[in-house]
Amino acid sequence: MSRDLENANPTILNVSQLPSRRSKRPETRRGPDSKCDSIVYPEQHWSYGINSSSDEGEDYAEDPVDEQDIYDLISTISDPEHPHTLGQLSVVRLPDIHLSPSPAELSDPDSLITASIDLTPTINHCSLATVIGLAVRCRLEQTLPPNYRVDVRMKDGSHAQDDQVNKQLGDKERVAAALENDTLQRMVDKMLETCT
Amino acid sequence: MTTTTASPSIDDPPARAPTTTTTAQTTATLTRLPSFQPELYTRAWSSIPHPTLPLIATAHAKSVTVYSLATLSKHSALTGGHARSVRTVAWQPSRGGGGGSGGEQQQKSRGSGNQRLGLVTGSFDATAGLWSFDGDRDRPGGGLEREVRMGGGDTEEEDGGGEEDDKEWEFNLVLEGHENEVKSLAFSPGGQYLATSSRDKSVWIWEDVSAGGNGDDGEEEDEWETVAVLSEHDGDVKAVAWCPSHLSNARAASSRRHYSHDVLASASYDDTVRIWREDADGEWVCVAVLEGHGGTVWGLQWETKERSDDRFPRLMTFSADGSIRVWTLKVDEEAERLEAEEAAAREGNPFRTGFGGMPNTMRRSPREEWECTAVLPKVHTRDVYSASWSADTGLVASTGSDGIVAVYAEQEDGTEGDNSDNSSGAKSSTWKVLSTIPRAHGPYEINHITWCKRFDSGAERKGKEEMLVTTGDDGIVQPWQVQVQ
Repeated sequence: MSRDLENANPTILNVSQLPSRRSKRPETRRGPDSKCDSIVYPEQHWSYGINSSSDEGEDYAEDPVDEQDIYDLISTISDPEHPHTLGQLSVVRLPDIHLSPSPAELSDPDSLITASIDLTPTINHCSLATVIGLAVRCRLEQTLPPNYRVDVRMKDGSHAQDDQVNKQLGDKERVAAALENDTLQRMVDKMLETCT
Repeated sequence: MTTTTASPSIDDPPARAPTTTTTAQTTATLTRLPSFQPELYTRAWSSIPHPTLPLIATAHAKSVTVYSLATLSKHSALTGGHARSVRTVAWQPSRGGGGGSGGEQQQKSRGSGNQRLGLVTGSFDATAGLWSFDGDRDRPGGGLEREVRMGGGDTEEEDGGGEEDDKEWEFNLVLEGHENEVKSLAFSPGGQYLATSSRDKSVWIWEDVSAGGNGDDGEEEDEWETVAVLSEHDGDVKAVAWCPSHLSNARAASSRRHYSHDVLASASYDDTVRIWREDADGEWVCVAVLEGHGGTVWGLQWETKERSDDRFPRLMTFSADGSIRVWTLKVDEEAERLEAEEAAAREGNPFRTGFGGMPNTMRRSPREEWECTAVLPKVHTRDVYSASWSADTGLVASTGSDGIVAVYAEQEDGTEGDNSDNSSGAKSSTWKVLSTIPRAHGPYEINHITWCKRFDSGAERKGKEEMLVTTGDDGIVQPWQVQVQ
């Protein structure tokens, strides 16, 4: 990108400062501590209906997703203009991620869970806010089970055109169409390259 | 509000709601029927039943799959016409001669035996495509309808090759003009006009100017030209719908004589709905803006069941705000009486031909007043992507992001006339939830719901009995039997 950066001097957190399972910030999480890669990176097959009480279903119930898992999924997304991740730039913050209801409280794997993520763009007129939001929504929709509804918003007051950006990111049809746009798709793919 | 909740296992028939002692319809039982085969394994946007034939067309990815309602299996497919996803489809009304419209023309074309099957697709690639079905050209007697009806139920398909090569859809014409994704399209009742809407905030009206449209050989050239570009919306136009003509014709002729009978409604990302009519000068004008929804209006549908009080059809709209609203045209009785008098006066004066011939300052402003006369009981917790109003029963079914399917009935309060300021003359009524099915497509979002006639072997009254069909992100097109008690 040859043009000037929107924000030339963002604050960058060291990777070791970022919230993680082993950091001392348990108050920001709900649910039991557990590794739950089996939920976060599931098989693409989702049984529902009559199988909901099968053994498979019980496996799911053991390891509910929590906010830290969501954070881990999206904090590693690269910023579209800086060589840092959204976590390092504090665009994604653990306290701004909420699951409702908490997956730990649900027994039926088909019950809807709303994942609300408030993003804090590095500066308040960041024209790339929509692209960042798109990448976050895209990442979560690709990795979370289909009973999750992902609501990505700009944190109140953090962005000059909050309402417009929020409305676009909440519009399924526009998101679907955007991901068929080659330019946008390439940008999002590049941002997601750093996700593991 | 009595909300019926189905039993937790969605594959069991839902539990019946407790019966109340009020009027006729109190509960509905929805039973899952076998889904259409094969499943699509990718997000499917909508499934549109043919108005008369036992076919339903599902838009998914860059193509359309047409299923037979008789066999509940694939009939044919439309592929290769679009560079991006097909969002929407509409069946072309059987064509009358040239630019005719209205019920009269439809009857004429039916009489001539012209049954060319036509479909139009709207795509994220910013174009609309006109397709025709060529499968039966070689067979005598234009036996499309017969062939389709033979396809299942009483008679099993003889060769078993449900996808034989002669079942071909031909891509005839591409309609270009929109700058961004086409989101919705609809033919006017007579087929003369096609309305398309797009993320570019506009609605385009195209007119069928094909020559020799009455040919039986299906060789006529399709030709459409743009007659209007309506750009008053401030956001994506999510849906367009024409008022059904058999209802509006008579009343339009009597009470709205300075407009043509074609009435178009559009729903938008700007949270509003607009009503459009062609005025006496041939200009398409916005005659009303319906404000009330607190989010994107995902779509709308005109009332197709004839109203007992012979009023203008109402309009149902549904939104990202989770609500479904019903709007009624406010009829100004005094103005109507004056209009009728003026019209009578004009008829006696050959030099004054309608409002078009009057000085501008005298021309009545072409405004209509629409009021929201009902908000259906709240069921949905997220966007309502789709709702369907039955022409037979007047029942409404809705679905959306929360995966719930709900069925509602309108019940007259029997308090007719006690509402003196109700100038729309509408009987007071309330809507009641007859049934809700949670997680109708498991954990997936449901993008579309429609009432649809049953033709499958399980139907008691083929071609008459109604079912619901839902279309979801799971790529499943799911029919539901509906029993109302």
